[in-house]
Amino acid sequence: MTPTTIGLIGIAALFLLIFSRLPVGYLMAVIGIVGFGTIVSFDAALNLTARDVFSVFSSYNLTVIPLFVFMGQIAFHSGISSRLFDAAYRFVGHIPGGLAIATIGACAGFSAICGSTNATAATMGAATLPEMKRYNYKPELATGVVAAGGSLGILIPPSVVFIVYGILTEQSIGELFVAGLLPGLLLCVLMVASILIWTRMRPDLGPKGEKFTLRQKLASLSGLIETLVIFVLVMGGLFKGIFTPTEAGGIGAFCTLAVALIRRNLSMEGFVQALFETTRITCMILVIVAGATIFSRFMAVTRIPFDIAGWITALDMSPAMIMCLIIGVYFLGGCFIDALALVMLTIPIFYPVILELGYDPIWFGVVIVLVTQIGVITPPVGVNVYVVSGVARDVPLNTIFKGVVPMLIAMIITTLLLIPFPQIALYLPSLL
Amino acid sequence: MISVIRANRYIARAAGTVNWIAAAAIVLMMLVTTGDVVLRFFRFSIPGAYETIGFLGALAISFSLPYTAAEKGHIAVDFLVPRLPRTARIVIHSINSLVSLVLFAVIAWQSMVYGSVLKASNSVSATLEMPIYPFVYGVAAGCILLCPVLVMDLLLRLRGAETQ
Repeated sequence: MTPTTIGLIGIAALFLLIFSRLPVGYLMAVIGIVGFGTIVSFDAALNLTARDVFSVFSSYNLTVIPLFVFMGQIAFHSGISSRLFDAAYRFVGHIPGGLAIATIGACAGFSAICGSTNATAATMGAATLPEMKRYNYKPELATGVVAAGGSLGILIPPSVVFIVYGILTEQSIGELFVAGLLPGLLLCVLMVASILIWTRMRPDLGPKGEKFTLRQKLASLSGLIETLVIFVLVMGGLFKGIFTPTEAGGIGAFCTLAVALIRRNLSMEGFVQALFETTRITCMILVIVAGATIFSRFMAVTRIPFDIAGWITALDMSPAMIMCLIIGVYFLGGCFIDALALVMLTIPIFYPVILELGYDPIWFGVVIVLVTQIGVITPPVGVNVYVVSGVARDVPLNTIFKGVVPMLIAMIITTLLLIPFPQIALYLPSLL
Repeated sequence: MISVIRANRYIARAAGTVNWIAAAAIVLMMLVTTGDVVLRFFRFSIPGAYETIGFLGALAISFSLPYTAAEKGHIAVDFLVPRLPRTARIVIHSINSLVSLVLFAVIAWQSMVYGSVLKASNSVSATLEMPIYPFVYGVAAGCILLCPVLVMDLLLRLRGAETQ
């Protein structure tokens, strides 16, 4: 058997066995070791595995992940989410669907300090669902908005998927972060528009809430200031090149912790939970990165990543068609596989193709993040929908999936706008 | 069965205890990076901050391996298997546990080998000239501590337990 055949068997095995429920990181490592061992030698495969694992675990560049995760976890456990929601609510709560709009606003704000879609959905779910219930919002609107709002968490910086994509493709994490900002805000606006249209069609979905005086509105802004200050400090320092992504994560975690302690919003128990959740999430991500490293070593000896770009470009198809196919793969994959795992599985295969076709890698990063986030809220495996159903136990899954549809339209429009207008993602990075 | 469940509980608790090392490493990482940036404004820096953070990262991940596995914290695609008949599920789960166990036993063994190579060649870090091998042994220790968690998982699976 030629190395290419073994490589193709390896890829097929990966995509089949991924449904076996073996953790994705473990599976990639096992296939990587067996494949590399078959082509080169098992001694070399085992030897390299230990080196790969240590080099991933002790990589300075990857320590950005636990630090940003820790920052988001502290924000999660210290009530920043409810202060953001409260401020947004006072401004728009009095219009129909206002609480849902406030939820989107608060999700966008929370995303600015939290890089995880699930954490954003879980946090905002806990903070906003009881309020929406109190004002007689229909469950489909309330839960749909929370599930979809989580995807802002991954588009608006910081973002764990951008970090991993940046490391895998050797693109600047700072540039990726800035590139996500405008599409994130655009998505935010489109989601608000969906809510307005939907509640205009069915006013019973989200009745008007109370109206606040200007003084009350302004008073609520104090809850926003700390988030804004942390965001500007962390992202500003990163974009200006004053500190590395890891240092930005460290400073961000430190400042968020300091704010939580000064405001006395973080209990000892909350702190320990934040810390343990951080270790768990970090370990989960880094195990996949280690698995992907071992797997790509196997891919490299098969030469498939180099050949595949050639095969695809030799096809008689326009680059736009190929791009649509790739986006289709991410969309389908995203319905079954976690966004982060999907990015790590596919980047070694698709990334050379993207470069070969002349697409901008930063733009591509934004597009796949958006497309995989669509998968996060579509059946059968809409992770965020499960997260929200964990918070709102009385709402059936079907209702949440129904509520997600208008938000899904907003996401699809954002993606479709990004294809002819890559400037939406690339304008801000071009200013750096 | 009851003794297995009890043993599993003890091991999960031990995994939580070991996780404190990982938790401490993350807090230290945050303090070292922040300290380094703040000191830089005063034209100082923490010597070897770069490599220290990398080593702390290695400790954080290695020692959170047992806890993360005990908490079923790894990403897996949970689409097909729950729809299969019970016997098929038990077989697949048991095979998964066994494969995981073999994988981490191998990584532990190879990390010990790699660590002893680094020890013999006196490999040290660039700035602080800290020996590297203890951190590689750390990875091995994390993987070894993960093995009892995976053994318990295998035993429970073979007995048809379906807690995730």
